[in-house]
Amino acid sequence: MTEKNHYLQGIAASPGIVIGRAWVLSEMGEVKGSFRLLFTEEEQAAEVGRLQAAMDQAHEDLTRLCQEISAESPEHAHLIELHLLILKDQMLCEEPLRLIREERLNAEWALYRAFEKIKDLFRRIEDPYIRGRLADVESVYRRLVGNLTGKTATRLFDTQEPVIIVAHDLSPAETTQMANSKVVGFVTERGGKTSHTTIMAQALEIPAVVGLDNATWEIKPGDDVIIDGLLGRVILNPDRGILEKYRRRQVEFAAFKAEVAQFCTFLAYTLDHHPTRILANIELPEEVQLAIKSGADGVGLYRTEFLYLRQRQLPTEEELYRDYKKVVEAMVPRPVTIRTLDIGGDKFLSPLEYPQEMNPALGLRAIRFCLKEPGIFRIQLKAILRASAHGQVRIMFPLISSIKEVREGRRLLQEVKEELRREGHSFDPHLPVGAMIEVPAAVTLASLLAQEADFFSIGTNDLIQYALAIDRGNKQVAGLYQPLHPAVIRMIQQVVEAGRAAGIPVAVCGEMAGDPLYLAILLGLGVDELSMNHMSIPMVKRVIRLINYKEAQEMARQVLDMVTVDEINDFAVQEMSRRFPEIFRFGSALAGASLP
Amino acid sequence: MSEQKSELSAVTKELWVENRLGLHARPAMKINNLAQRYKADLVLEKDGLQINARDLLAILALDCPQGTRLVVKATGPEASEAVLSVCRLFARKFDEP
Repeated sequence: MTEKNHYLQGIAASPGIVIGRAWVLSEMGEVKGSFRLLFTEEEQAAEVGRLQAAMDQAHEDLTRLCQEISAESPEHAHLIELHLLILKDQMLCEEPLRLIREERLNAEWALYRAFEKIKDLFRRIEDPYIRGRLADVESVYRRLVGNLTGKTATRLFDTQEPVIIVAHDLSPAETTQMANSKVVGFVTERGGKTSHTTIMAQALEIPAVVGLDNATWEIKPGDDVIIDGLLGRVILNPDRGILEKYRRRQVEFAAFKAEVAQFCTFLAYTLDHHPTRILANIELPEEVQLAIKSGADGVGLYRTEFLYLRQRQLPTEEELYRDYKKVVEAMVPRPVTIRTLDIGGDKFLSPLEYPQEMNPALGLRAIRFCLKEPGIFRIQLKAILRASAHGQVRIMFPLISSIKEVREGRRLLQEVKEELRREGHSFDPHLPVGAMIEVPAAVTLASLLAQEADFFSIGTNDLIQYALAIDRGNKQVAGLYQPLHPAVIRMIQQVVEAGRAAGIPVAVCGEMAGDPLYLAILLGLGVDELSMNHMSIPMVKRVIRLINYKEAQEMARQVLDMVTVDEINDFAVQEMSRRFPEIFRFGSALAGASLP
Repeated sequence: MSEQKSELSAVTKELWVENRLGLHARPAMKINNLAQRYKADLVLEKDGLQINARDLLAILALDCPQGTRLVVKATGPEASEAVLSVCRLFARKFDEP
């Protein structure tokens, strides 16, 4: 057993608090101990029998699982069908039988060897998407090993005790299995904030911590585990005091969540009836449903890089159009703000050849890259325009640093419109065109840019990075990345004023937008729209309903008079936690940030 | 004699992977299902490398992203029907984008 009250820190993937017993998914090392050579024909026959029984069991379990999932979420059923087919595969299932018969290996060893061979084969696959299927083979392999050693995944779901799964990685299929089982949460070594397993955990509302290195080593089978999916924290073998504290937190959070979710699908007004639109940032089309459920009043930032990054060929107009249309139609009548490509040439898996850059943040990326490769850009513009026929679409150009870039982008858009007209495609002729404000130059030029754009969207992540000259990835300076730096506050104010003077709306779409700590200040500065991770939406809407717009304006005014980051930070923390103590017990953590 | 016969009934056809994601899990499953349905031995060949179409993992491991050229070869009974079905499946892009 691991020591008492042992804290581990990972990445908060899915919010909530759960308490349960650790189930560590068997790793190779555990199996290796049971490798042995067979000496008699009887032993060989017995091992063949054991392996076949393990396969039959797996077949039976998967078939049942497949039926259950087809009934509940048919779109995930093919994942299990795939596992059924893998189970019939020669390499995984006939090869070990041969190894038992001809090389006298026992079932575990034979299965391990067969799997290692498949692993070698897959390692040579170049296409990352196809190579990723190894995860499914591994899942079937683990199931077979589990059946052989008696630690079956299915038996686990039958336990009466709440179980917390600890694994190197989980496939989305395995995550799906956890719904309606005794599995209350999971911890993985792999994964990040936007991996598929994370999205699945959020959809199923299973608290999870991912990206926790060495979790399968640090956490021993049978350990008592608390998962704090709000802070990305895992506590092993808590003593009674901590356990009780977390039980309380669990109850409070459940009540908080229910309360917050209550009115989340309605537009949020402040106490003095000032409306603020709260939108979602999305990357994958599947996230739209989560966004709607969380109460998004639209999509404020649709990142479109995914299709360009995961394949070697450039996506076609038709492929892009189909993805965009899916998102746009699902959100109707809410608006969808599509950001055009925001990557550099060096990121492409495609036939384009660009050299690696010394300093990609300052390199050929985003709108600069698109204007240099108008062929690629026009295809995306066409797809966006065509999608605009199906709902309310807005387009925005990232990393704008000059008037010329907006004009060039608009000119291309106009050309493409005429092309579409000739081809007989319909589109929204008044599609609003926005400029993302992420470069200090754009802030300085805001009043001029406002004459050229239909709206502004402030990308605070990049703006803070460029304005303060801080690379967040660099641990030496990451602490200097300060959203409440007086320079940042003044920049936001300047952009809002320029927008107001020209009569165009101003949105904020960086991480800052989703943290309730900054909410009153942003509102008070006059920001019209906030766009954030879908998980923050219900709580942000709740805070807005508790804020007085007049008071928020007063707070913003006070902040503009302050001269140091510390002053502003202290003020924000004090004011917000004084006004909304119940929110800030969970609030900032829910948004993925912690109080300073 | 029997070898000669199977040589005679060998049917081959050139194919291109046209769907966006290439021969990933679902298309591979569809090819695999087809191969199970016919009596013919169905082989996929890429750059001289041959695999049995009844072997799902082998299809995946053949590593065929969009744009890959393949040759499908069937021998034995129902060889031409099997090849025709495979061709149709490829032409339909496995019902994918």
